[in-house]
Amino acid sequence: MILSLVILVPLAASILSLLVAKRAKNLYRIAAAASFIELAASSAVTYSIAVNNSPFSWTPYFSVDFLGAILLMLVAIVGLATSIYSIGYFKAEVDKKIIGFHRVREYFILLHLFLMAMFFAITTTSPVLMWIAIEATTLSTAFLISFYNKPSAMEAAWKYLIINSIGLLIGFLGTLLFLSIVSHPYPINLIDWSALAKNASNANPLIVKIAFVLVLIGYGTKVGLAPMHTWLPDAHSKAPVPLSSLLSGVLLNVAFLAIIRFKIVTDLSVGANFSQGLLIFFGILSIVIASLIILMQKNYKRLLAYSSIEHMGIIALGFGFGGIGIFAALLHMVYHSLAKSMLFLASGNIFLKYSTTRISSTKGAIFVLPVTGVLFLAGFLAITGIPPFGTFLTEIYIVSAGLKNHPVIVITAIIALTLAFVGFLRSVFSMAYGEPGEITKGEKSKWTTLPLIAIFIILLALSLYLPDFIKVFIQNASALISKTI
Amino acid sequence: MEILNMQTVFVFEAIIFVSAVLMHVVKRNSTIIIIYLCQSLALVGLLGIHAYQEQSTGSFLIALIVLVIKVLIAPRFFLRLINRSHQNLSASTYINVPMTLGVIIGLIFFAQSDIFSPFNKLLGEMPALRMMLISAIFISLFLTINRKGVLSQIIGVLSLENSIVAFGFFVGLRQPFNLELGILFDILILVIVSTVFVSMVYRQFDSYDVTRMKHLKEE
Repeated sequence: MILSLVILVPLAASILSLLVAKRAKNLYRIAAAASFIELAASSAVTYSIAVNNSPFSWTPYFSVDFLGAILLMLVAIVGLATSIYSIGYFKAEVDKKIIGFHRVREYFILLHLFLMAMFFAITTTSPVLMWIAIEATTLSTAFLISFYNKPSAMEAAWKYLIINSIGLLIGFLGTLLFLSIVSHPYPINLIDWSALAKNASNANPLIVKIAFVLVLIGYGTKVGLAPMHTWLPDAHSKAPVPLSSLLSGVLLNVAFLAIIRFKIVTDLSVGANFSQGLLIFFGILSIVIASLIILMQKNYKRLLAYSSIEHMGIIALGFGFGGIGIFAALLHMVYHSLAKSMLFLASGNIFLKYSTTRISSTKGAIFVLPVTGVLFLAGFLAITGIPPFGTFLTEIYIVSAGLKNHPVIVITAIIALTLAFVGFLRSVFSMAYGEPGEITKGEKSKWTTLPLIAIFIILLALSLYLPDFIKVFIQNASALISKTI
Repeated sequence: MEILNMQTVFVFEAIIFVSAVLMHVVKRNSTIIIIYLCQSLALVGLLGIHAYQEQSTGSFLIALIVLVIKVLIAPRFFLRLINRSHQNLSASTYINVPMTLGVIIGLIFFAQSDIFSPFNKLLGEMPALRMMLISAIFISLFLTINRKGVLSQIIGVLSLENSIVAFGFFVGLRQPFNLELGILFDILILVIVSTVFVSMVYRQFDSYDVTRMKHLKEE
């Protein structure tokens, strides 16, 4: 029953937002209340899983295991922070007369639908329903990417729609092929992940391999793995900032969840080497391409978007290397989600102040925006894997997991990560220091500052001390992923 | 009866395949949409035969919904857009027609290669059927990549979706009724969203040609 709240509350919030005729305040109240309920319900589900040490189910269609719980909590936390931030951000945009009430309402209606689709994708037991939900994330966010109705935003949205639709159709073909491994051809009942896993060992290995390649290319497009990443920098940089935070912070992980679920089935059928090889290939390609572009980047929102591609590559590498790499990749997902959503929200505050996304036109952010500036610097340290942030350890673990069997890949990854660090350092310091010119000092509002502080506190706390129950969740999720023949 | 049905479904699959090829050759937007309509009608035919064989009300309903979405709603939406904008001539392709046909032949040969031999078990020993099912997928994908017009691109996506559904039909991958409804609902939303987007693109760029979209490069 609690699980139903996670899915139905955002749907109800979307419908209620549609009914709001005049006052933006009501939209804000609905968003805040819905996000709080979603977080409370997600926490209750996670708590139940921890106490009972077993998945939490609601009807045969929905179930959350240890792996799903990690993502559920991430979506709920980042979702809450983003909803609260959106209030302050859109108030400022309405004040500046950039948008009006109807656009704000459109944003909140689609935001709730987007959150619902992500919750649905995480909690469903069916690969087909998961595909429907992930496709729904594309359809609900396409209009938000073209939100500002500028030619460049329209281009980005079109690219996003076409590339992701093709990618997801390829993923659908892979999903259909996976379903063919279940022995009865006309199932009356639902084929869920456990049915796929049970039948995996009897499946034709060649079909499983082709199916996994299709799934990896299909969902990999949504994850932003190179070379299918081309839509991501445009879409993430053109979307309204709070949406960029959700796209980069959590949606990429939700799409990655689909790949992980199919990887489990593939490994049970053909052994882990096949999927690991592919993940290493796409992972290192993503890291190298993203790092080289980060080095030359002139736009800070695109910088953050390319960094997301780089981090999806790191996570893919972790799953590819296996062993401790899987644990580290899952933990890296958590740290990346928090750090990247904080960075995007901070970039929103910088944009509200400077009205530009050009790095060269943004100077002295640390003096103009004392809180945001410091948090932007902290986010930079976290995202580039500098201590005391947890990404330092997860990257070390991932690298050490591959050192023995894939030394060339590891060395290439280290060089690429160093280049990305240099690129980030140059851009962030250029933005943080220098003469700001005639820009008024001070934060816009508490609504746009508090969510950043909250995410930063969670990120720092989890970096300095990882509570045992979170370790147990990640260990159990790693054990689930490591199951092979 | 069984043989007749097998021949009929083969003809329907051939229509889906030939439609995918023809979409590359024609230049007018309205003709591409008519070809897409024929392709979708063939898909409805496949689903209808299955429903008849199974004597299943659910399958009949699915075939009927596909008919409404893909044959009635989607083509009508797109034709109305063309009439409104008076942009019937499709934007050009990235490579010329002879080269396009060369690529299509290459894709057909690729679909016949041994890489896809594992599908023989799923599809039965019918090499021509395997070739048509797989190459229709590749050819539809190629349409989206090769065309410069937003309408042709979206028709390419929808044709790809038709080809994949046909593939799923022959492989025997039918889903429970509610899941199939979910998939169809998703496709309906995709049709609506893409139609709105096509009109938004036209309003913004005064053309359906994607080569007019240069603002991301210029920034």
